[in-house]
Amino acid sequence: MGKNIISLILLIVLLIAPVSAHAGVPLETVKGHVDKVLDVLRDTSLKGESMKKIKKEKIRFVSEKMFDYAELSRRTLGQNWIRFKPEQQQEFIELYKSILEGAYIDRIVSYTDEKIIFNKENPLSEKTVEVQTTIITKKADIPISYRVIRKEGEWRVYDVVIEGVSLISNYRSQFAQILANKSPEGLLDTLRKKAGKA
Amino acid sequence: MLRNVTEYAKEGKPLKLISPLFLVLIFLLLSSTQVSADSSLTISDISSNKNEEIIPSQENEPLPDPSKEPEEKPDDDLGDITEEEGEEEVVQIADPLYPWNKTMYHFNDKLYFWLMKPLAQGYSAVVPEDIRLSVSNFFDNITTPIRFVSNLFQLKIKDAGNELFRFLYNSTAGVCGLADAAKMDFDIRKKDEDLGQTLGSYGIGHGIYLIWPFLGPSSLRDTVGRVGDYFLNPVHYINPTETAVGITVYDRVNETSFRIGDYEDLKKSAIDPYVSIRDAYVQHRKKKVED
Repeated sequence: MGKNIISLILLIVLLIAPVSAHAGVPLETVKGHVDKVLDVLRDTSLKGESMKKIKKEKIRFVSEKMFDYAELSRRTLGQNWIRFKPEQQQEFIELYKSILEGAYIDRIVSYTDEKIIFNKENPLSEKTVEVQTTIITKKADIPISYRVIRKEGEWRVYDVVIEGVSLISNYRSQFAQILANKSPEGLLDTLRKKAGKA
Repeated sequence: MLRNVTEYAKEGKPLKLISPLFLVLIFLLLSSTQVSADSSLTISDISSNKNEEIIPSQENEPLPDPSKEPEEKPDDDLGDITEEEGEEEVVQIADPLYPWNKTMYHFNDKLYFWLMKPLAQGYSAVVPEDIRLSVSNFFDNITTPIRFVSNLFQLKIKDAGNELFRFLYNSTAGVCGLADAAKMDFDIRKKDEDLGQTLGSYGIGHGIYLIWPFLGPSSLRDTVGRVGDYFLNPVHYINPTETAVGITVYDRVNETSFRIGDYEDLKKSAIDPYVSIRDAYVQHRKKKVED
């Protein structure tokens, strides 16, 4: 009997331990990536216009690890995803990624001295968590949430919500509008032009 | 262009501005029954708009496409997505006044690039950031009635109290509201509330999307809210009206000076800026109503 209780306790401990060890992992993961980006931005050896390209390259490298672009793409297209053939899906992911990076890296590079606070985690589903952060600027506090998904033990970002505006929902509305009267190939064509890969 | 604004300023007597507004509102309320019938207009209009590189008006590939009929393979992950998508609930807004809105979108776009941006850039080159921040604080302070009343109407008594305290403290310790002393000393922060959000908290939907010249994106509901906010804003009781409008324009220029680049980034990142802004407006307001 005593043995049973001990093994039961052991079992419970074993079951709980990994969970408690993992609590905070999503936040720490996002924070790790953001810190890496901040390191690049604050790197004094990378000052000046000529170094901007290297800076951007380094940030792109972090973004590659930080984001799950496949997940992000699928969720953006939602129901429309299945209208795309596998190779079209692949191209969509690449084009979408390059448009997002092109649009946001410039913005990140212009970051100055704002403080970023990592507030808390908010579980969304079994394998998705929202990491809530705030950027403190002199003018205002800007809430930014990173939605992360766990795949093969890794947490990666599939959506960013800035002041209540979800990135993937915003693009979904735009793509849905285009797909309402165009084929997937038509959308890809629009994206190729936007990404400068026509 | 500058003359245009001063002319606008001179004409901008509150009542003159507001009575056509109400007429438009009544018209919209009457016509809102047609919303569903009209909304197809949006899509066809978009495809036929001359919107530069965004939507090339080449021969549209016909919809029936082999990829449209996907092989019926049950994909676990996909099932998962649609499930969660349902939870995330896509927020949408009817846009039956698309032609008007699109025109106003272009008008405001030009207003920004030709007038507001150069003004704000020149202004921020001359006026140091700290002073611009103080100006911003000052305007936040005198518009306390909007937030106070909105909180009260939502029965957010504590937030209403906070606003009252912030007003008293910032007007005194913060020297006429130039400094946000309540935030610095007590960490009591401004909570952005307005009557549009108040109506939203009562469960009233947007109705339809509406872009106003000078004011930007709005909705039927938020326009009604804005009319209320207008009367709660002490600036609008200043005589003569020219002064009131001048002050409002100055406030706008000051605010814009902090946001130069934001709009450009938004346009740059968007595939269809009009749709992107419309969606962002609805999502942003939804969050504000929930807060």
